[in-house]
Amino acid sequence: MSDSALINRRGGALAQLSDTLWRRPGLLIFLLILPPALWLGIIYLGSLFALLAQSFFSIDEFTGIIQYEFTLKTYAELFRPSNFDIIIRTVVMAAAVTIGAAVIGFPVAYYAARYARGKWKAIFYLGVMMPLWSSYLVKVYSWKLILAKEGILNWLFETLHLGGLLNAYLAIPVIGGNSLSVSATGTFLVFLYVWIPFMILPIQASLERVPHTMIEASGDLGARPAQTFRHVLLPLALPGVIAGSIFTFSLTLGDYIIPQIVGSSRRFIGQAVYAYQGTAGNIPLAAAFAVVPILLMAVYLWVAKRQGAFDAL
Amino acid sequence: MKTILKSGTALLLGLTVAGQTAAQTMITEIGEGEGQVNIVAWPGYLERGETDAAFDWITGFEEKTGCKVNIKSANTSDEMVALMNEGGFDLVTASGDASLRMVAGKRVQPINVDLIPSWSTVDERLKEAPWHYVDGTHYGVPYMWGPNVLMYSTDVFPEAPKSWDVVFTAMDFPDGKPNQGRVQAYDGPIHIADAANYLMFHQPELGITSPYELNEDQYAAALDLLRGQRKLVSRYWHDAFIQIDDFKNEGMAASGTWPFQVNLLQGDKTPVASTIPEEGATGWADSTMMHADAENPNCSYMWMEHSLASNLQSDLSVWFGANPAVPAACTDGRGMQTAEGCTTNGMDDFDRIKFWTTPVSSCESQGTCVPYYRWVSDYIGVIGGR
Amino acid sequence: MTSAIRFSGVSRHYGDVKAVDTLDLDIAEGEFFAMLGPSGSGKTTSLRLIAGFERPTAGEIRIFGQIAQGIPPYKRNVNTVFQDYALFPHLNVRDNVAYGLMIAGQPKAQRHKAADGALEMVALGGYGDRKPSELSGGQRQRVALARALVNQPKALLLDEPLGALDLKLREQMQEELKSLQRSLGITFIFVTHDQGEALSMADRVAVFNKGRIVQIGAPEDIYYRPETPFVADFVGSSNVLPPEFVAKLTGKHAYGALRPESVFLAEQGHSAMVRSVSFLGAATRVSMQMDKIPLTILLPKGAVIPKAGDAVTVAWSADDLHVMDRT
Repeated sequence: MSDSALINRRGGALAQLSDTLWRRPGLLIFLLILPPALWLGIIYLGSLFALLAQSFFSIDEFTGIIQYEFTLKTYAELFRPSNFDIIIRTVVMAAAVTIGAAVIGFPVAYYAARYARGKWKAIFYLGVMMPLWSSYLVKVYSWKLILAKEGILNWLFETLHLGGLLNAYLAIPVIGGNSLSVSATGTFLVFLYVWIPFMILPIQASLERVPHTMIEASGDLGARPAQTFRHVLLPLALPGVIAGSIFTFSLTLGDYIIPQIVGSSRRFIGQAVYAYQGTAGNIPLAAAFAVVPILLMAVYLWVAKRQGAFDAL
Repeated sequence: MKTILKSGTALLLGLTVAGQTAAQTMITEIGEGEGQVNIVAWPGYLERGETDAAFDWITGFEEKTGCKVNIKSANTSDEMVALMNEGGFDLVTASGDASLRMVAGKRVQPINVDLIPSWSTVDERLKEAPWHYVDGTHYGVPYMWGPNVLMYSTDVFPEAPKSWDVVFTAMDFPDGKPNQGRVQAYDGPIHIADAANYLMFHQPELGITSPYELNEDQYAAALDLLRGQRKLVSRYWHDAFIQIDDFKNEGMAASGTWPFQVNLLQGDKTPVASTIPEEGATGWADSTMMHADAENPNCSYMWMEHSLASNLQSDLSVWFGANPAVPAACTDGRGMQTAEGCTTNGMDDFDRIKFWTTPVSSCESQGTCVPYYRWVSDYIGVIGGR
Repeated sequence: MTSAIRFSGVSRHYGDVKAVDTLDLDIAEGEFFAMLGPSGSGKTTSLRLIAGFERPTAGEIRIFGQIAQGIPPYKRNVNTVFQDYALFPHLNVRDNVAYGLMIAGQPKAQRHKAADGALEMVALGGYGDRKPSELSGGQRQRVALARALVNQPKALLLDEPLGALDLKLREQMQEELKSLQRSLGITFIFVTHDQGEALSMADRVAVFNKGRIVQIGAPEDIYYRPETPFVADFVGSSNVLPPEFVAKLTGKHAYGALRPESVFLAEQGHSAMVRSVSFLGAATRVSMQMDKIPLTILLPKGAVIPKAGDAVTVAWSADDLHVMDRT
């Protein structure tokens, strides 16, 4: 008897809680949002601001000890030629990777969204997602082997008697090098491969949302396929392209593994952050470097919004 | 073991008062083991037979002392310092470019060498090495050391190169082709010391006495040398396995490296060999250091003794291609190492090796030196072509 | 009268599915033509064949005398109003309407003027700066209409354009479309599954079933003189009388169609049992069972209304029983 009373009372308390939440839906949302908000607010934003604060300190040239006084000196350091090179190099690479991913990714996404059905759609998803399943490092290392001087790509060029062509390309300064694996082009190819799923999937999602009649309507109104692409498909898929480019651009900006394994050893922002925060103990400069991608992304999003990239959302 | 400990305690009791100041924060006797010891170590430094059954220097220790060994691997000196700053560890196998930072940061405590019976067997050359012996106090027990050797392709070089100039200056290799694109250099600011070491030999007028203590002029000369090297190097090596791959697949002919890579490549039948050229070489020397707030001091001391007395020194030197801190480990058959093996690893070249240490602004040899944080930013510039 | 659209033996098969099956059709210039049928009957596919979104698997389509084979949609002088309107969400209403003119290369000022004129025509003057998402369903429908008409097509194709509108708006739009077509004088081809819509608007109606046209003719013909039980049932909700019953009355062994409003309660005639009664406002629908034949009749306002379960006697004038010779 006492048992059943206990169960009843418990049920009553639960029911009361449900009733309260039902009557006050705002409370429920608040309770659901609270833990992730705290997590995001304290862990993420907190560390972000700590980082930001660090960047306004400076390191004493003489002793190498951090001086906890507000200064913009560290940001001025970013404009030293060797540091500014890193920023320019990273931004150019990120932009190239983004454009490359969009150009290659769009037709793939278009095919998947418009034509692939049933089995082929499954194969498409598998093909796009598979690179994401295997370890990132394994992928990068295998690319190093593919691009190596004695690797398969070089062998292919030689077999096709195009070795001279490849060597002529590699002789071009900046983008060339001793072999593909030690050239900026190699770094670009690996970045492109590793990040392209992040471009294809948002574009595909945005293309799926474009009703087929929209494209028919454009053709019906006299637009050739190229015009339909330019005036209807691209503007409607643009939010997807922008979303994808946010991924590819920011992921390239922040990566420090790929340029370490494939490429000419010239530093990217991520590597610079890693080096400066390490043994160098130059946390302020590392923090200032870390702020660069954040600023770049903010500017990028602002420009994208100004250009109407999100109008079709 | 008990008797060893007792004798250690007895020895301690007989200590002179002179050591008293330094000994204040030191352990003065070893009690019962706490049941575990937490160690931060380089990958491959602590093997319990799981990678290769033949290489095990932990199981015996655990059985003998009842102290379970918990291993945390760290890939860089920076990671080691960071982990020790976090706390929760008892010991760390620190290299010279990390050890002094931890001493200065008071992250490690003085070591009472009298509690370590096998201390007497340690290589005389290492007992008071500056990377763990500071102001008359021991902060570490030598663990392992090795040179940064010059590795070369035996296909390209019929005989060992005499000088590091094969990686520093443009030239044609014996096979008639230029060295451009066929040499590598270490992708870390500490490589500036290699350049300084080269200049120390070839440009004595610069007056370099230690490659880790450079004034502005010496430093500028070293950077100039490295800028010339940038034109020869297509990729700087950072990860041992990437370098191994480059020697297999990228047609590399010469590079500074660790004996570790040489051993692995030779094991793979790749035609390479190594040498220490006339200028000598830089090298690393690691010490076991104890956290200032170590929670398991007794097991820690037992481990330090074990690290010197057991098969560890001998087998690890084979495993890693390094040199034991206890010279007897090369010859007394406690493990797999042999006298020839030690010679190959550079045991006899100790005097020609300048061990890694963190460059600081206040240096012994000439008052003011270029500190390490500038090495970092300037080396980034050099690799970037500035 | 010249032919606007002509189908000769046109088929569109998807594997085993015959969406359109050997269709012959002739639509005159200036005609308001309705394609009526249930979903899947091939009416929309036929429209899409005209627009060029589908290609026939067999047969020949001529548009204003020209063979349409191989001519892509963007080169055909017909325009379509889509069922979902297919307005471009990233363009405002004016740019939506001016889209075809922009593609044709008209300068901005000129095409905007034309677009505003077209918007006036569909009573949406002043809405040019809005986004399609800010409009109601009826307004979007008019924008879609203006967007098609501003190109001055020779034929306008409308794919269930009123389907998404509520009843009142639909009736209003029906009238507007009709008068628009009259004033413009161009061919309208209108696809619908709503028989009332087809009958009230079209000059001629083609009834589709299973990929074929089962009857084609003026609305009155379709309504009063259905040629098959399918048309009788689908178009007029006529009572379909079985051949045996019809044979007894007329001597012809064929299905008969009897309009519900043609049947009245009488002293003498056929006895029936009332099953249910529904009040429809202007009339009352009475469902009954006449022997084994289900019968629905409409009684005008003021008539005596029986109750469910009542035994009644029904009759009709012999002229109103339409005998369907074809099956």
